Amino acid sequence: MGVRQEDDINAKIIPPKEQEISDEIEIKVKKYLRGEGANLEVLHDKKLKGQLAVREELYGKSAKAAAKAEKWLMPSEGGYLEAEGIEKTWRIKQEAIAREVDILSRKNQHDIVLPELGPYTMNFTSSGRYMAVAGRKGHLAIIDMKSMGLIKEFQVREAVRDVVFLHNEQFFAAAQKKYPYIYNRDGTELHCLKEHGAILKLQFLKNHFLLASVNKFGQLHYQDVTTGQMVGNYRTGHGRSDVMRVNPFNGVIALGHSNGSLSMWKPTSSAPLIKMLCHHGPVSALAFHSNGHLMATAGMDRKIKLWDLRKFEVLQTLPGHAKTLDFSQKGLLAASTGSFVQILGDFSGSQNYSRYMNHSIAKGYQVRNVLFRPYEDVLAIGHSMGWSSILIPGSGEPNFDSWVANPFETSKQRREKEVKSLLDKLPPETIMLDPRKIGTMRPMRKKEKPSKQERDAEMEAAVADAKNSITRKKKTKGRNKPSKRSKKVQEAVERAKRPFLEEELSQKKKQKISEQSELPKSLQRFVRKTA
Amino acid sequence: MVETKRKTRDHNNRQGNKKRKVSSSKTLKSKSEKNSNDGERRKRTGPRLPNALRKELELMGRANRSNSDDEEIDSDDANDVYEYEEAVPEEESMKNRRFDPVENFEYELPNEFKDENVASEEDDDDSEDDGSREGQEGDEVEQEDGGRHARMLQEITGLPVEAFEGKKRKNDIVLSEVSNQRRILPSEPLVKRNREAPTLYFDEDVDLGFSTVGAIASEFEPRTEFEKKIAALVNDNEVLEAHKKDGARLLELNKISVEDVKDHQDRLAKMRTLLFLHEMKAKRIKKIKSKTYHRLLKKDGLKAAVAEMEMNPEAAKEFAMKQEFKRAEERLTLKHKNSSKWAKRILKRGLDVQDEGTRAAIAEQLHQHALLTRKMKSMKDNSSSDDSSDEDYGDDISDSSDQDRASKLLEKAKEKTLGVINEDGEVPKSGVLSLPFMVRGLQKRKETADEEAKLALEEYESSLKQLEGKRVIENVKKGTASGRRIFGAAKKHVEDSSNKIKVDNYYGSSDSEDNLEAQEDIDVDRSNNFKDEINFDPDLLREESEIGHDSFFKSLEDIVKDPGPKTTYEVAIFAADSWKKMSIKDNELSKCEKVADVNMKNSSKVNKPVLHDHDIEDVDDGSDSDSEVQMVDGILSSGTKSNYELPSQADLIRRAFAGDDVEDDFEKDKKQVLNEENPEPEKPVLVPGWGQWTNIQQKKGLPSWMLQEHDNARKKREEAVKKRKDAHLKHVIISEKLDKKAANLHTKTLPYPYTSKEVFEQSIRMPIGPEFNPVTTIGALNRPEVVKKVGVIIKPIKFEDVNPHERREDHNRSGQKQKKKKSTGASIKRNTNKIKVK
Repeated sequence: MGVRQEDDINAKIIPPKEQEISDEIEIKVKKYLRGEGANLEVLHDKKLKGQLAVREELYGKSAKAAAKAEKWLMPSEGGYLEAEGIEKTWRIKQEAIAREVDILSRKNQHDIVLPELGPYTMNFTSSGRYMAVAGRKGHLAIIDMKSMGLIKEFQVREAVRDVVFLHNEQFFAAAQKKYPYIYNRDGTELHCLKEHGAILKLQFLKNHFLLASVNKFGQLHYQDVTTGQMVGNYRTGHGRSDVMRVNPFNGVIALGHSNGSLSMWKPTSSAPLIKMLCHHGPVSALAFHSNGHLMATAGMDRKIKLWDLRKFEVLQTLPGHAKTLDFSQKGLLAASTGSFVQILGDFSGSQNYSRYMNHSIAKGYQVRNVLFRPYEDVLAIGHSMGWSSILIPGSGEPNFDSWVANPFETSKQRREKEVKSLLDKLPPETIMLDPRKIGTMRPMRKKEKPSKQERDAEMEAAVADAKNSITRKKKTKGRNKPSKRSKKVQEAVERAKRPFLEEELSQKKKQKISEQSELPKSLQRFVRKTA
Repeated sequence: MVETKRKTRDHNNRQGNKKRKVSSSKTLKSKSEKNSNDGERRKRTGPRLPNALRKELELMGRANRSNSDDEEIDSDDANDVYEYEEAVPEEESMKNRRFDPVENFEYELPNEFKDENVASEEDDDDSEDDGSREGQEGDEVEQEDGGRHARMLQEITGLPVEAFEGKKRKNDIVLSEVSNQRRILPSEPLVKRNREAPTLYFDEDVDLGFSTVGAIASEFEPRTEFEKKIAALVNDNEVLEAHKKDGARLLELNKISVEDVKDHQDRLAKMRTLLFLHEMKAKRIKKIKSKTYHRLLKKDGLKAAVAEMEMNPEAAKEFAMKQEFKRAEERLTLKHKNSSKWAKRILKRGLDVQDEGTRAAIAEQLHQHALLTRKMKSMKDNSSSDDSSDEDYGDDISDSSDQDRASKLLEKAKEKTLGVINEDGEVPKSGVLSLPFMVRGLQKRKETADEEAKLALEEYESSLKQLEGKRVIENVKKGTASGRRIFGAAKKHVEDSSNKIKVDNYYGSSDSEDNLEAQEDIDVDRSNNFKDEINFDPDLLREESEIGHDSFFKSLEDIVKDPGPKTTYEVAIFAADSWKKMSIKDNELSKCEKVADVNMKNSSKVNKPVLHDHDIEDVDDGSDSDSEVQMVDGILSSGTKSNYELPSQADLIRRAFAGDDVEDDFEKDKKQVLNEENPEPEKPVLVPGWGQWTNIQQKKGLPSWMLQEHDNARKKREEAVKKRKDAHLKHVIISEKLDKKAANLHTKTLPYPYTSKEVFEQSIRMPIGPEFNPVTTIGALNRPEVVKKVGVIIKPIKFEDVNPHERREDHNRSGQKQKKKKSTGASIKRNTNKIKVK
């Protein structure tokens, strides 16, 4: 608080330019502070209060340093199309863009025509350096997008439905006619994952090293690619579905179903985390924003909906079909149907997506898949006659973090990163709707035991009830003695108290047992047996 | 250090005296003293002090008493300090004199002991020494802890004793609840500061000794003979002076005799030659490769040569030349004949005497000789092509000659076989052989022979064709390269073969007429058979008689007509089609009488159906995979047209009806989930037979408690349902199932100092790892509570003026900086160690 006040005071003195800079930094600092500090006034423990105050101050300093460093570490800013006067951004064609951009970017505008092996789908590595391409009729290839060189190309002579890279470009998985296979970069078949069955869609969870797949019968499989262990195998119960996406923020898998509903899954529970009715027709496409809050779905009911995943509410409903959707790193949304690709964007920052760019594929080739290339302003479109790549200004993240994804990675770096990422591999149970909750208090269960005070209050109430409920029957002479009456009352009170006391006792016992069992097995025999 | 230590050791014995003296002069009022004065008799209160300490105190007390009578102990004070009574330990209960103190002879002082007045400076010195040594000699110091320390502090700082007493009390848990009224002690701010500090540093004034190379060098002292010599030279005044002047004198000093120079040169030369020799030796040794290396090299060379020979005619020629040359050489020199000196010697001695290795070597040589001198036919082949009687060597060099030769050979072979086929008749007219059954048998044998001959002929023919034109080869290649057996292609093949046969016929026309007829007959048969063979699975069916799969095919047709549920439509149709073709061919086939005969025979075989079943499966697989091929073909033919198919009928229907009632379905779904997760209470039901003796129960209805219970349960459920996260979201179901594995990622209870969940969760919101924070702050975020190097002695706390209202700002500064600042501060603050107060 004090810091802000100081800034206010400074604002009066410093010139407007610096003021602007400080404002900018303040915004960034807020980002790095990751939320408000705790209210220390409620604390009674002075020592803790002191410690926390020191901590908070350190956090503030760290955030400030980070914000300042950002200026140097993230020098480039994303571009975007700006329309002047009556110009509209969506009227600007690719040819017009090509005239304006540099040679390197122009290289990214290309069409590859492969007429024979039918509609193509593709996948990028997280750095955007490599692309895996799969033709429906059995064509698999890996391409280095920097040099535009073909690394490996081969035909499997059976239907290929999907392809994904595993953690790096060394391995990729292809969903073929009967089973998914894992190949290495040289095209050598490493594994045939027979347990999955005939896969329609594949996804890879990078942080957890899980290969997720949904097969023809609507079964969702999770397989750990490091150990080969089948982590989860669940029936979705909604039949065949080939709409699947992983939420990059939390690793939750979303599946679109033919009844218009959408379910979200994690590998450790057999019931879906979330089930929501999105459309009246079958869900045809699905995409997640990288911040994990925003989801786009398209249905056969000619609607594209944008959802806020924190509230599970529709933010915006747009008309139109979409067979495939994809969010770019900067939050542009590409939707495509037929041979027409539309890019939506919100440049107002109010989650209000509007038309940004259009593109139609030459000669009416049917689009099968659109995918933004990470760290580049490029949209790759897989269609029935090969694939094409177009420029979408402002789609990719302009600054890459070489610790996260390095497009210029050397093989040594790649190896090191592989080891590091394996060491940092997250267990499958860390997939949850809000991963930031890890490490916090366990959420209260509904059948939470009442606190001690509540229990006491209850007991008192019961005792009072018992006391009041004693009706005196006026019977024979000797029965109504005061001693007898008091005895009766006492008995009633005891009876009322008994269940509570018993409960308490049993709880204590349980606690004791749990305390004992907390010791490792090998040490338990040394525990002194107290009576 | 060592010296001082010794000194203090020496003083150790005397220390008692000094201390006593100090205590008496300053009239300390340390509580322990008070206590010890009349400790023996009274029931003791207060904490149990270590025996040793007590002993010491006792001694002091006694000394006190002996010295000064004016000292009176106010027991009130003692009471003030100790508010509780501790159970008397065994050794103080004075029960059976078990733990009674032994008379302390060592410290017993004579009654006429006189105090000697020691200079106060020395006193100070000693005590300071004590302080610095405290950590080192733990035992001794521990024994005489207590007041001494306070006294020492007092002497250093010149403050009243109370200040240190206060601190001490805080150190000692037992003593901490001294009094209710708070006196602010001067050292309190210091303690407070230490308490509040996130990190305490104990490595501030560490003397690491020499810090620079220069410092170390300056301490150098020549010790050995050599060093002394050098030092003498270096420190030679003459030389120094020469250096200081213009250096002309240096030359004078540097005079060397001629012998010296010569010696030196000689030595150098010797060394150089030695070095050179060694170098040469090393070079040679380095060049030597291992046996294995040579073996492998040889192997590789051989392999490469063979491969080269096979691949490249030029190389082969060269190789041949080489061989020839070698042979000639061998024949000239007879190098490997036992004519070498070594061999002669061995032979002279006698082979029997030699060991195995030598014998083997000799044998090897002989073998080599034999190999080399042998006439090399393969090599001859090229040079003299006329002796072509042997055909085993096929590696001809020029293509044209090869073809010519081959064709000639083939023609010859063909003629011969034709001759064999045609030479019929000549049936013996008499003897056993003329018997009818023998004749029949002969006939049969001849037939089979003819068959074989035919086959051979076919082969020759085809190979001839190959040689003549490349067309056939191309066809065949096409057939084999596709990998999968495609029916269409196979058919083509058959046509080819029939064509061939036709050609054959033409060829045959050059022969006599009657032969031609017979040949034609057979040829027709053959062609039929041949077709058959190729159409069906060639591997399996060839074993069987070529004909007679009639019944099998019919059954296949049936099977194909109602395809299994797995095969798609396309596949089924395709399969059916192909098989229809087959059956037609089959019909053709069955026209032959002979065929029919054999058919009858074969159909009786039992094991046939099994085989056929196998075949069916095979064929099914083939057709399945073929559908894909067809698809590919389709694309190929369609070219640039977009080949997206319309969704199938079933798909359309599914979609059309999918949108119906999705909302209702979803609501039902939600209800179900709710019921699962928050089950509805069971409705109260009267169990038949219970409470129904009369019809009173029925009239009354259910008992009230039952109803109440049900009501409660229902209310509870409703509340729970209302509390759910998806209570207000109509189209969303949020599962509230507890994930046991994920539950382990949360804390069960709040960690110790925290009392509120919110504060705890806010405090862990920031990651403190190096991945998430700038390098400049990461140190401060992760610094431990106490920073201390191993081996650093933690000195006792010293008083220093601290402004109690000043807030510490330097917590994120590194220890080094702090240290510097402190060391430049006032001399009193020299020792600003902070002790973490527990």
